[in-house]
Amino acid sequence: MSALEGVNVVDFGQYLAGPFGPMIMGDLGADVIKVEPVHGDGMRLAGKPFFGCQRGKRSIAVDLKSPAGLEIGLELIARADIVHHNMTAGVANKLGIGYADAKRVNPDVVYCNTWAYGLEGPLAHFGGLDPLYQASAGLEYEAGAAQTGNDPLYYRFGMCDAANAMLSVVGSLAALYHQRVTGEGQELWTSLMDGAAVYASDALLVDGEAVERPRLDQGLHGIDSCYRLYETQDGWIQIAAVKESEWVALCGVLGVPELAEDARFAVASLRRENRTELETLLAARFLTRTSLSTAYALDDAGVPNEVPVDTHGGALVLNDADNARLGMVAEYEHPIMGHLRQFGELVQFSDAPGHIDGAPPLVGQHTREILELLGRDVATMDGLKSDGVITWPGDDYPWIV
Amino acid sequence: MGALDGVRILDLSWGIAGPLGVMMLAEQGADVVKVEPPGGDPFRAYSGYAVWNRSRRSVTIDLKSPLGIEAFGKLVDDADVLVETFRPGVADRLGIGYAELAVRNPRLVYLSCPGYPEGHRLADRPGYDALVQASSGQQWEQPGWRMGPIFLHMPMPSMGACFLIPSGILAALIQRVETGRGQHVRTSLFQGALLYTTQIWQQVEHAPAPFHDLMGKSYPPGVHQQFLFECANQEWVHTSVMSGLTPTKSQDALLGLDDAPDPFAFMALPPAEREAFTQRRREAYKLHDRAELVAEFQAHNHAIEAVITMEEALGGGGHPHPQLVANGMVATVEDPELGPTTQIGVPINLHSTPGAIKGPQPLPGQHNDEILGALGYSPDAITTIAGGGRG
Repeated sequence: MSALEGVNVVDFGQYLAGPFGPMIMGDLGADVIKVEPVHGDGMRLAGKPFFGCQRGKRSIAVDLKSPAGLEIGLELIARADIVHHNMTAGVANKLGIGYADAKRVNPDVVYCNTWAYGLEGPLAHFGGLDPLYQASAGLEYEAGAAQTGNDPLYYRFGMCDAANAMLSVVGSLAALYHQRVTGEGQELWTSLMDGAAVYASDALLVDGEAVERPRLDQGLHGIDSCYRLYETQDGWIQIAAVKESEWVALCGVLGVPELAEDARFAVASLRRENRTELETLLAARFLTRTSLSTAYALDDAGVPNEVPVDTHGGALVLNDADNARLGMVAEYEHPIMGHLRQFGELVQFSDAPGHIDGAPPLVGQHTREILELLGRDVATMDGLKSDGVITWPGDDYPWIV
Repeated sequence: MGALDGVRILDLSWGIAGPLGVMMLAEQGADVVKVEPPGGDPFRAYSGYAVWNRSRRSVTIDLKSPLGIEAFGKLVDDADVLVETFRPGVADRLGIGYAELAVRNPRLVYLSCPGYPEGHRLADRPGYDALVQASSGQQWEQPGWRMGPIFLHMPMPSMGACFLIPSGILAALIQRVETGRGQHVRTSLFQGALLYTTQIWQQVEHAPAPFHDLMGKSYPPGVHQQFLFECANQEWVHTSVMSGLTPTKSQDALLGLDDAPDPFAFMALPPAEREAFTQRRREAYKLHDRAELVAEFQAHNHAIEAVITMEEALGGGGHPHPQLVANGMVATVEDPELGPTTQIGVPINLHSTPGAIKGPQPLPGQHNDEILGALGYSPDAITTIAGGGRG
């Protein structure tokens, strides 16, 4: 039995910050129904990012703006434990699937809305994309070391979407736990803006003044002379010589034991203070050596280090025997894309087997199966399809994914 | 009242992911006791510690002393959840592994988050965040101002795991409502890093051309990087093509570029013309005061944000981000060591059971008397449990 087995999630979201959370709940064992417009989730054309947040779901394609479609939507809500979406302000209410509507058909439901900015406030009516919040939470400023005169730098991973989605998972599951214990459901929300702030949550003001925190150097190598990347003759190495003994051992491996005796670098705080000076000295030493020989020598001397891996777009990780054996690679056949690999289990349970077992669905791939569950007969479904209320994939399936 | 009222958590974690993940549960109502070694958590001096370790009580326990282990066992008997971030095998050697504690308390949900998963060939390697950034390939995925791997200032593997930890715990608690039994829940910083590959690592057999392009890695950095613009006074903004609203005037018109093509016509331009126009646009931004431009863009329904530091967003400089304030995310916490601090608030908003910051980071062993005393230990015994003179 999977951890969230028997938990029904209805996912009305599109793009990323909506659907990614329900996907993770699906990984944890929930049964997730993706409700998408008959013309498909707007993210489908984006390719990879769409694939990354839809696996394991069943898709029903239905036009919620039609009365018959709305009826289907509400029936799905009626049997749901969690309703989840990322619609902008007022859209769900206008469609007739807002919290008040949901509560009418399912008084105990957990209802989660992930926003761009937030529920209320000066910018709450705006939608928005991930980069805005990388900007507002200082991520781009720090990523590019803008304080050194560099341009701010965008992180390529779509992190704020992920943060919003993951906060919504934690919030939805906390609310569901509460519901299981007390019988009471509720409404909750998270936002891209707040998710981004979590990433910079080490920022702190004391008496209103900023407290210094570690910052990148202009070359984007790291945040401390002993916690950074160094270039070698043939590549790179990341070191983390955090303890005093590791600092001394590092100097030994690099053939500069005298640095360990140098008063300018005697303790961690001095090494921070004289960071540029020390980094210049250490960088010159690393440039006389090759990466792997240095890595093995540092291993032997007990200095934490890794050679940064170029995974060739993830191929090395997704085809790694250890990763596959430990469940961290998911594989399936997709009707259009063929064999598909992506990351697998991120959380594992001793008494609940892994549950990742389905490729991202085509638009409306499970429309008929789900409507059958809701008691619709074939004639009704055909009628709804010809009225444009629902769809399922036919020979003329127009989507690349 | 919080959604997780009555859930008792023993927090043996350190670093970033464990404390921050536990914070999310603490601030939805869980009662958290941080179990520190004698002398306190060695990470106290690190940036972020005061935030990530707030909303819990602290007890110091010497797990290498028999009395310490005994007291710890009593805490386990009453706990619903234990969180630990030791390297695989270390907790077992200390006598506090899952197998041992599950016998004492079968309802215990035991969460482990080492750097790498147990059984992985990297499992015994040090699990510092930056090392996992390197070994998981994420440093190579990020483009920067030079070729080669880029150090991610945001501790990405930890910031993935910090969400996986509470998610896994809650899933197991929900299952426990049915089964009455706890279980061992495992994640790792490595899996935290994988979380962020969702938009970039999809290996398929057949890929129509657009499949790879949208989030591709490029030099200079591409995609959204193109929408970062420098305004007057070396201040930057990030604009967005999408706001969910209908703009009342185009961005280019607001910049004074009245002859500009509309966004779709722009995308259809030959690359050289597009580049030439982009240069004009970049120059136009530099003529504008940032604060005025942001206000004007937003007034015309364009999404835009100033590129600021998080400290500025919190109000260092006098102007906290108004939406962050509206979200309740600019919080004041009276810290026992630092005094009045401004920190992020609670990022998860439950309507009927709202979360709340429960208090500042505790001092090491601040609640020894309260917690160990309640277990029936004398002051002398408490001193021994806390590591005696070793503290």
